[in-house]
Amino acid sequence: MKLAIALLLTLAAAAPASAQGVFGPSTDAPLISLRPFMEISNEKFFATKTFDAIFGETSARFWGGGLQVTVLRDRVYGEIGASRLMKKNAELVGQRVFISDGKVYTLGIPLRSTIQPLEISGGYRFHVHPRVVPYLGAGFGSYHYTEQSDFADASENVDVTERGGIFHVGAEVRVFRWVGVAVDAKYTHVPGILGSGGVSQQFSQNNSAQARPERDLGGWAARLKVVVGR
Amino acid sequence: MLDSRARLALLTLGVGLLVIFRGSVHGDQRYDDPPFLILQGVGLPAVDVGLMKDDSHGPDAPETLRRVAVRATLKGDEALRSSASFRPGRMIVRFRDEAPAAARMSALRDAAASGIIAERPSYADFDVVQMAAGDDPVAAARVLMEQHGDVVMYAQPSYRLHTMFTPNDPLYATNQWNLPLINLERAWDIQPAAGSTITVAVLDSGLAYQDATILATLPAFRDEQGRLYPALGRVTIPYSAARQVVPASNPDRIVAPRDFIWDTNTPFDFDGHGTHVSGTIGQLTNDGVGTAGVAFNVKLMPVKVIDSVWDFLFRAPNEATDEVVARGVRYAADNGAKIINMSIGRTGPPAPVMEDAIKYAVGKGVFVAIAAGNEFEDGNPVEVLAEIASRVKGAVSVAAVDRARNHAFYSTAGSYVELAAPGGASRGFGASGAIYQQTFFPDMTDTFLLSPAQYRAPRFDMIGYIPYTGTSMATPHVAGVAAMLMQQGITDPAAIEDALEKYAIDLGAKGRDDQFGFGLIDARNAMFGLGLAK
Repeated sequence: MKLAIALLLTLAAAAPASAQGVFGPSTDAPLISLRPFMEISNEKFFATKTFDAIFGETSARFWGGGLQVTVLRDRVYGEIGASRLMKKNAELVGQRVFISDGKVYTLGIPLRSTIQPLEISGGYRFHVHPRVVPYLGAGFGSYHYTEQSDFADASENVDVTERGGIFHVGAEVRVFRWVGVAVDAKYTHVPGILGSGGVSQQFSQNNSAQARPERDLGGWAARLKVVVGR
Repeated sequence: MLDSRARLALLTLGVGLLVIFRGSVHGDQRYDDPPFLILQGVGLPAVDVGLMKDDSHGPDAPETLRRVAVRATLKGDEALRSSASFRPGRMIVRFRDEAPAAARMSALRDAAASGIIAERPSYADFDVVQMAAGDDPVAAARVLMEQHGDVVMYAQPSYRLHTMFTPNDPLYATNQWNLPLINLERAWDIQPAAGSTITVAVLDSGLAYQDATILATLPAFRDEQGRLYPALGRVTIPYSAARQVVPASNPDRIVAPRDFIWDTNTPFDFDGHGTHVSGTIGQLTNDGVGTAGVAFNVKLMPVKVIDSVWDFLFRAPNEATDEVVARGVRYAADNGAKIINMSIGRTGPPAPVMEDAIKYAVGKGVFVAIAAGNEFEDGNPVEVLAEIASRVKGAVSVAAVDRARNHAFYSTAGSYVELAAPGGASRGFGASGAIYQQTFFPDMTDTFLLSPAQYRAPRFDMIGYIPYTGTSMATPHVAGVAAMLMQQGITDPAAIEDALEKYAIDLGAKGRDDQFGFGLIDARNAMFGLGLAK
């Protein structure tokens, strides 16, 4: 995250020649622009107890890509993106557990999870600075979650897709005429996958403020995007 | 292969030479020999009698009732049958640490004038008071508790315990319905090592864990019907290990054996119950021979706290009373056991000395499984040890189911029943409804059940797969699964109890009930635990 911010500041300091002296969308910005992007993100899950119990960690890195469309001379945008875990075989690997009196006992039975978000969002880009374009957006996503354990029956594994909501806020720096770099914070809310079984159910049995996050596969993510296009 | 008569003749000849040799070296006279002597390691391997359809070890079997009756008669205790009797002339007292010696003696004189505090036995935080046989330990204990509470934490008579006699069945594929019933095959898939790092203490009648030859002088006695059984004089009794429980190739499987009936470190089983129970926990498995066990790689700690008819006739110095069992529990906890199996129990007044011991063991990280009792059709009395287990997180009381997963007809029911496991029942199923493990062939050991004319010395070298039934048989299923859970990573006894109860298959009335507790244990699901979302 620190590296991403430093990179962004460096890039912002070296503004592209075409943008110097411009305040607002450049006059030659197209009405519609198609801009493919690649992204990496680090997500801190809301279900911290659940992830910590199984995987011993509460966050994970994703990588992915998508396509962004800007209209109205770069003021409004929409994008579609897909991502997957930045792990070997795109899997988080942990082990099954038993929980008694709040204490977690690991059982040594391997468990592998995948999370594959497909997200559609849109928002507004604020041309308030010649080099930096803050943006704000929201949308929804489809989240495909799988969970497989050694020694499990098919019925004991999980393969489910649920919808969730997204909100993101960030800024993009145009480093070259055709290349921009963006950093944003992304909030996702993904109900329906956790909380009805397994550890997540165990940790969310009451309706307390501490329990509710354990039913949410979403979280806060810091995201770095490289955008190609004007 | 030698037949059994030839083997016995050979053994007798060998032992005779040994005795003569000893006499010539030490100048001993035959008649000066102690009445009971075990020559460890001197003996031949067991005669394998294979699968037996014996039906004499069920709660309702006539032989079971006679075993109890003979034992009671030998001890001159008609009340033993009720299992609420106590040993005369003894009382267990735990004095408060801060109570001075003078106050202790004063209280004791008030309660029982003849009372003397004996030297404190090993593995005990309590004292044993010896008193005149005519003094009433119940009344004395009551006086101490009611009038000297400032000096005494608890006092109780020395109540006797017994095995949960039960009952019978054979080989895994054809006869061991009980192991698949608790989903064990899939548990073995998860943990092929089956408890290899865990030591299970079996507090019972001992274990046939080594070959030996026993020299004993057997006195005459009268049975419960008053029939006189003749003295047999000096006899040589062959004794063989149950090699499917303790293979000759792996003697290290036995850890810290201890005999509190004889005050030795050689807990020979002269009954067969302890060996059968040990087999359910850890009989060799997947070796192409006989039957299987639950946690077949565990280490076994035989702790003998139950005396049999033969122990009495061999003149054992101690018997199965509360303080003997309590010491056994503490011994097991202090010597590395992580699981304790107690297929034993009694009814009657409370046993604070046992409650203390069980809490001590659980406090040291030991999981305890206790039989719920076999007296459902005999007034369904409260089993004292099982009731204690229900109040201690980390100890469980175990009821029995038959092969159809119904409540076994004999299995005591009550609010203290926590779990159920296969105990078997021959009623309605015949021999195929019992639990089969390797142990002594009862026709050769229980000769005191024959008529006086047929009475002869026992042989403990004929071993087969013998059917037993009862909550005694249910309990080692739980102990074995608990050992596997502990090896799998659930190291806290309370958590093991949680796991067993959470994943139990609910039987009978929905939720916990008095016949099945939380239900039939499910080894695989308890071991499989939880994933993220399922």
